[in-house]
Amino acid sequence: MNKKILIIEDDPAVADYLTTLFQDNGYVTFSAKSAHEGIELARKEHPDLITLDLELPDEWGPRFYRKLSADKDLKNIPVIVISGLSGIKYAVSKAVASISKPFDRDELLKLVREHLA
Amino acid sequence: MFKKILFATSATEACDHAARVAFDMARRYHAHIDVFHVLGVPTRGYSQVVVDLTTGDEVTLDDNYRDLVKEEIRSYYDHQIQTTDDFAITVTIGHPHREILRIARAEKPDIIVMGGSTGASGSYAHKKAATGSTFQRVAKAAHFPVLVINRPAASFWGGFSNVVFATDFSDAADHAFAFAFKLVKELNCEFHLFHALDITCFQTDNFHTQDTIDDQIRNAIAQIRFRYVSKMGDFKPYAMEVWEGIPFVEIVKYAREKQADLIIMAYNTRQTDDPEASIGSVAEQVILRANCPVISINRSVGKE
Repeated sequence: MNKKILIIEDDPAVADYLTTLFQDNGYVTFSAKSAHEGIELARKEHPDLITLDLELPDEWGPRFYRKLSADKDLKNIPVIVISGLSGIKYAVSKAVASISKPFDRDELLKLVREHLA
Repeated sequence: MFKKILFATSATEACDHAARVAFDMARRYHAHIDVFHVLGVPTRGYSQVVVDLTTGDEVTLDDNYRDLVKEEIRSYYDHQIQTTDDFAITVTIGHPHREILRIARAEKPDIIVMGGSTGASGSYAHKKAATGSTFQRVAKAAHFPVLVINRPAASFWGGFSNVVFATDFSDAADHAFAFAFKLVKELNCEFHLFHALDITCFQTDNFHTQDTIDDQIRNAIAQIRFRYVSKMGDFKPYAMEVWEGIPFVEIVKYAREKQADLIIMAYNTRQTDDPEASIGSVAEQVILRANCPVISINRSVGKE
């Protein structure tokens, strides 16, 4: 069964790019434009991995992660932070990786494969 | 709670993360934000020739130069200024800490927001291992709470909802508690009361058994109940914990574990009122390392 990736990203161009990239590589994707929508989708779909933008319209990424990690069914889902802001590396302390925009597609796919292996 | 924010900035990259928090607070809490910048230090006395703190050049200060710097700051923070319609930009000359304290006394902000080290002087290693001297001097003498964001990682929370109050049971910590409790009530936050039992002295002192440490932990919990919880009325969303270890490490770890978006602690707690006294090393280390903003409160807070 194909692994599921939840993309939390408010920029539609980036969200579309990530969706296409992951689908072309055999993953099932879901997309959320806000932290609230992201939590709802995570609860519904139980993704295997989440990519998380830091600056979302309703919440910042760390606050989303706090909600995620408070849910016993979701807290172990690996999260990759993808953001254009500087200094993002330690923003979510338990994120498995962080990538700055613009990012290298191969680097991102490598990370995804590593954490979905 | 935060209706008037004084954001003291070098208007350089070193203050970018502090700017993120300051403007976010202004937007979130509908506050007025004063963007305050000290552009240079007079070469002597009341000279109009000043050393520009950003470029290091000597310049003659006149209204044109002042306006030019204001415009530069306006454009540097253009993106963030667009999120608020209640702001002012003030530039002045002088020694930064004195001018920040001076404007704070005049404007009486609810909070002063600053970055940590600007790295304006000293070696690279020194810059990374110490908070800024301007911050130290302001935090020591300010009559207002000082919020410091030293790491970019501390600037991505957006608002306060999960607050750690770290105490050493000093009188200064009581001041910090009063502020912290007011904040958590008004902003409807979760409140974590925390004490780090310092066991570093055990390495050189008499050996302490774990029973002794556990007794001290129980005593500390009882103190938290007596000193703070007893004053919290029917406020329910709180937790309290005592961990043994190196205090600044435990405070940072606890805040990380709780995914706190704010730490509040007293500054310089064991020192006297002597303004030349060295700063509280625990507070300094927490500020340097925390993954969230830190508000430091000294014992003069609330006296104006």
